[in-house]
Amino acid sequence: MVNIKVNLEKVLLAIFFGAFVFLGPGILFGHKISHEFPYAYFASDSFQHQVRADAIKDAGNFRQEAEYISFGIKNSIGRYPPLLYHLAVIFSYASGLEVYDSIYFIVIFFAIISVFLMYFLIRPFNRHAAFLSLPLAVLAFSQPASTGFLWGHWPSVLAQSFLIGFAWCISRLDMEKSYLLAGIMFSSVALAHTSEAVFGAIFVALFLAIKIIFKSLNKSEIKKFAMAFAISLIISLYYLPIFMNTWAKSQPWSYSFRPVWEGNPGFYIADFGIFLVFMAVGIAAALAKLKEMHTSLAFGFSMLIGGFLNYFGFDVRAFQIRFFWPLYLSVFFGLGIYFILRPAIKKWGIAHSSFFVLLFGILISGVFASVFDTEKIYIPHYKKFSSQGVMDTYHWDALKWLRESMGKDSKIYFLYGDIYSQDALLRNAKRVHYLVDPNDYISSINERKIKRSYVTEMPGDSGGLVAVRKGLFEFEYPLDSLPQEDFFGKKDICIFDYIVLDKASRQQALAQYNMMIGAELLKKSYIKKAFENEIVVVLKNDKKGDECIEERSF
Amino acid sequence: MTKKEMSALKKEAFELLKKEMAYIGIVFVIALAAFKIAFLNENFFGVLRVVASVFWLFVLPGYCVMLYWKESLEFLERFVIGTILSAGIIGILSYYLGLMGLNVKYHAFVLPVLMIAIGLIIFYRKTNKSH
Repeated sequence: MVNIKVNLEKVLLAIFFGAFVFLGPGILFGHKISHEFPYAYFASDSFQHQVRADAIKDAGNFRQEAEYISFGIKNSIGRYPPLLYHLAVIFSYASGLEVYDSIYFIVIFFAIISVFLMYFLIRPFNRHAAFLSLPLAVLAFSQPASTGFLWGHWPSVLAQSFLIGFAWCISRLDMEKSYLLAGIMFSSVALAHTSEAVFGAIFVALFLAIKIIFKSLNKSEIKKFAMAFAISLIISLYYLPIFMNTWAKSQPWSYSFRPVWEGNPGFYIADFGIFLVFMAVGIAAALAKLKEMHTSLAFGFSMLIGGFLNYFGFDVRAFQIRFFWPLYLSVFFGLGIYFILRPAIKKWGIAHSSFFVLLFGILISGVFASVFDTEKIYIPHYKKFSSQGVMDTYHWDALKWLRESMGKDSKIYFLYGDIYSQDALLRNAKRVHYLVDPNDYISSINERKIKRSYVTEMPGDSGGLVAVRKGLFEFEYPLDSLPQEDFFGKKDICIFDYIVLDKASRQQALAQYNMMIGAELLKKSYIKKAFENEIVVVLKNDKKGDECIEERSF
Repeated sequence: MTKKEMSALKKEAFELLKKEMAYIGIVFVIALAAFKIAFLNENFFGVLRVVASVFWLFVLPGYCVMLYWKESLEFLERFVIGTILSAGIIGILSYYLGLMGLNVKYHAFVLPVLMIAIGLIIFYRKTNKSH
């Protein structure tokens, strides 16, 4: 009998693993792992991370940010938390995948692993609740929670996988030398996305506070916590001064009240719909057991509070925590179902849990959505979503051609393109680049003028400040001493080596204007078409600085 | 410790590894099947290489490190925790080794080998000590 129970558990876990792989990366990636271009990238941030990982692959390390990421600044220190990028590069080498596929895979794969981490976190507290918690996690792979994947909040998502790992370590602090695991896991959180370490600290504070209130904290536990944090500090020692002098300086905490994540499809507590009933029961049951509160419950409460810290200055960081609410709060969901249904079944066993897990699994996976109108009774369920995203094969081929064919010091000018507003994708040319300001471009069309100079942006990544490290704790910020016009102002298009223009646009007038400028430029013998496909043309200017275009009206 | 005891110890450790390697093999086959179904437009060898890479970089190193806690945790729990732990250790070590001058292209080979070796040595020594 025991054997049957154990096998049933493993069989169900295997089924859920398969379901998560299918509903998560399977559908999102169009049932392919390797693609011809960055697939299912929906925002500039996705490209930002992909390009940085690619730059690390090129350099062999993350000592510095690439020049084309940092506004042409040389020697700027690698300031982003490095863990995701290194995993992506290593996985790219091992699997043969391009970095743009490997980085996405790593993020979503460890999100799946963290579902099972959460399961093993809850299991010692209540095996049935652990089982019943599994289906809710499906919502993490569906809109709106899946914004974390689609819009490129990847370091945060990966850090949250480690955060669940850290909570598991805390739950097992009674094991021999387990502080080593906790220390490594906490550093992994900090080196994947440092702000999640703050949420980890909030969890520890709440956990310890409960123990102190109920006088269940002993010296040995305090020692283990201290050891874990000391290990974590030692591991992160090189990176922390970088973080303190870049991110902590540019984004210090300040009080703000932001109930809505404007411009972003955020996850809100109401998105749990009818499941809130189960969760409320689970929370009530957990509060009733406050004295001997299990780590999984303390963790659930911490992340529930953490997700509401947008009302207390945590802004985007609190909204990011909500991407994993379907995992964190699954403990209350599982516990709630168990508490509601248990009085009705005399001898609740693993078979009963399995039945309800499958029932809720089918319900949440959206199988019934096409049969019954689940929207009306507001049962949240998985919504299938698959699209190639922002990039397409034509732009990707052009960017690839640019990085493979241009001289290292060549500069590129991008005229208007529909997808160029997600400007981090332009870094795939791997050269310093400039982009025409669409407002000035549209004004020029309205004025019916072809110009030599347009208002131009120099796109780059200033997040966390571009810094040059001069000593262990000494940093310089080169952008501070440069004039603002260098980054946004009128620029002569004749001073660039390459000019990129799109032949097609959702707004045909803009594409026609691009082609008009292209035709004017090609009147000069020293300007030639260097690359062309159905959508993109790249012009090469062999006489930089010469009068490459005659200003006129049309 | 006599030679006989030593050999019994080696046998015990080996038996455990043998048994759990078979479990890892089963999980590998399940993962491969799940990935092939989810990524049905990908060719089999592409899927195989990705799954093999996951096991090489994360599963095996994590499993070996977690052998230290074999008495406290059952196989599947060690397997899952080991996978995320390995991702953390490999990511952190890769960052620092890169800064020290070892190009990241070698890390996919060096780091798992290092972790597997360290994990097995610690496991062997702990088994020795506990007897």
